[in-house]
Amino acid sequence: MSGAGPRENVFPTRMNLTTTKTRLKGAQTGHSLLKKKSDALNKRFRTILGKIDEAKRKMGRVMQLAAFSLAEVTYATGDISYQIQESITEATFRVQTKQENVSGVILPTFEPLMSKAEGGNGGFGLTGLGRGGQQITKCRETFAKAVETLVELASLQTAFVILDEVIKMTNRRVNALEHVVIPRLENTISYINSELDEMDREEFFRLKKVQSKKKRDTAVRDAEAKEKRDAAEAAGIEEEEEHEEQEQGENLLAEKDEDVIF
Amino acid sequence: MEALFFNSHGGYLEGIVRGFKAGLITQTQYNNLTQCESLDDFRMQLSATDYGNFLANETPPISTSTIAEKATQKLVDEFNYIKSNSVQPLTKFLDYMTYAYMIDNVVLLISGTLHERDTHDLLERCHPLGTFDTMPALCVATNVEELYSTVLVETPLAPYFRDCLSAQDLDELNIEIIRNTLYKAYLEDFHSFVLSLGAPTSDVMSPILSFEADRRALNITINSFGTSLSKDQRAKLFPSLGRLYPEGAFALAKADDVDQVKVVLDGVVEYRGFLEGQTGPGGAGAAGAEGATGQQAASLEDHFFQYEVGLNKLAFLQQFQYGVFYSFFKLKEQEIRSLTWIAECIAQNAKDRINDYIPTF
Amino acid sequence: MASHSVYKDRSFIATIGDEDTITGLLLAGTGHIDGRGKKNFLVVDSKTAVSTIESAFAEFTERQDIAIVLINQHVADQIRPLVDKYEQAFPALLEIPSKDHPYDPSKDSVLKRVKKLFGE
Repeated sequence: MSGAGPRENVFPTRMNLTTTKTRLKGAQTGHSLLKKKSDALNKRFRTILGKIDEAKRKMGRVMQLAAFSLAEVTYATGDISYQIQESITEATFRVQTKQENVSGVILPTFEPLMSKAEGGNGGFGLTGLGRGGQQITKCRETFAKAVETLVELASLQTAFVILDEVIKMTNRRVNALEHVVIPRLENTISYINSELDEMDREEFFRLKKVQSKKKRDTAVRDAEAKEKRDAAEAAGIEEEEEHEEQEQGENLLAEKDEDVIF
Repeated sequence: MEALFFNSHGGYLEGIVRGFKAGLITQTQYNNLTQCESLDDFRMQLSATDYGNFLANETPPISTSTIAEKATQKLVDEFNYIKSNSVQPLTKFLDYMTYAYMIDNVVLLISGTLHERDTHDLLERCHPLGTFDTMPALCVATNVEELYSTVLVETPLAPYFRDCLSAQDLDELNIEIIRNTLYKAYLEDFHSFVLSLGAPTSDVMSPILSFEADRRALNITINSFGTSLSKDQRAKLFPSLGRLYPEGAFALAKADDVDQVKVVLDGVVEYRGFLEGQTGPGGAGAAGAEGATGQQAASLEDHFFQYEVGLNKLAFLQQFQYGVFYSFFKLKEQEIRSLTWIAECIAQNAKDRINDYIPTF
Repeated sequence: MASHSVYKDRSFIATIGDEDTITGLLLAGTGHIDGRGKKNFLVVDSKTAVSTIESAFAEFTERQDIAIVLINQHVADQIRPLVDKYEQAFPALLEIPSKDHPYDPSKDSVLKRVKKLFGE
């Protein structure tokens, strides 16, 4: 009996064998599909990793540029940070989330969404009116570009985090199928097979046994009949002969009956 | 006649200022500074100049803002020294100089109050030259009405406020408009004061103040393209003096784009070329056009700074007048800006822009 | 996996950083003050207590209307354990360089994970 590995707790019947075989087939198909998915995700993941690395470095440069343009503003106007902080009301630079589908995984991507504030100067309309307004405008543009880069990077990073999670999950599933479910089903199948074989062998043995018993019985009866015949011969041959024929017929019938039962 | 008595009152201080002026960083020193690899080198180089060891007590990772702060502190010290030794009318003249900073400070406090912020934190952010004894009193005000009356009572800026703004305006007008309205009033007042001082001083100061007025007018014009500022409002912010006043200012008030401003500038020899090489279909509108405005902006501002420095240098050629005081501090301010710029370039590794500073002498 | 409703309302960019960075980003238009006067940015200077940064960080990462949290790297360093522990996809956490502190990729918590995955 192949009880070596874990198996499902089923009765070893042909019916269950068929069901289990179907399930095994399903599991195998699932496994190969998941494997493909995981490969596709991994491929995507790798490209994203590369991009993230690059984008992070790019961000370093962009932010430096932006910081520098702020320095230009400070050069021309002096410290404006407080003024800026005070004039904040509503965000004009927002992000919009969209979805992208990568082998069934929904990846959100951020997209910059700029709304024109009244005053046309991003809500800071008149800051730097007296001096340095142009620098502020320039700085605003530089920073807006920088933020766009940051938003792009944020998309990548979110994709990274989600993909990381999904890949881990997919891999878990693949591994579960490969190392637990499929072996278990295989074990079950071989268990059922071996049980069935066992039953076949038992049956065969039983039949043999029945046959041999029958043979023995027939032999005994034959011997008895012979005795009777011998006795009848001694009494009256004609009468006995008739009786014997009758007995023979009965025996044949009985034997047939037994065969019918099995 | 001025000259006869000038030395008895202001001779000592004029000497001091001219001495200070000799301490301004020279072109050679600037060259040395631009060669620096790090801010530590920068500090070393600076210690060889008049600044001496002003950064000596700073802990090693010095930031550019610390440098600017310390340099400003030095300027303020020098100013205070001169002011405490001055007699009328120089004291008044120096007072006028501080009003410009005061306007910024008061406006800062107003915006703080309007946004219900803790104004005490703001006191630290105020420009030290623009502080006045009663400034903390402004922080007590909790609403606009109160603030307005406190400003009227407590600050030297009262006349400007009284003449230009009402308490309601403080609440309703954009803070930048308030600032520029005040500044316009201040410039006009300063100018008339300078004229009252008579010949040598007014000869020197007049062009400087006129230029300041023109610069503001130009900046306001260019910066208001594409904003909510209407042309009427714009016209109200132009100071009523300067080379461009009145015809130029009138034309500026109606200008719609940079090209029209250029036409106005062509009427004044000195300003011709400030907008040179900068074409653009106009500031407002498409992003491309805005980019173009951004490009030219830097050079326009640079032209302004350069011209201002030139004017201020001229002030030193005349004796027996107060213009030197104004000019010295303006030059010093420019020097601090240049130093900060160079420091910024060093800190951010932007060596290609490092020579964009405006040398003084 | 994030369901749609989790991120469709997220539209703001929150910032924790030094004054210059904040000023720049506000200029770009990311700043927002909602009806109750809640800001989506925090200015950190040398006097700001770590606990203030931590609570701002916690608040920004828990708010439902923020899509991206930007944090200066040198500020992130102050609350590094918290940043390293943060693994949610939303809001996305980005470490950005500041004027005085150039970007150091080796400190970035996400890049650290990237490196780990590459087996370096």
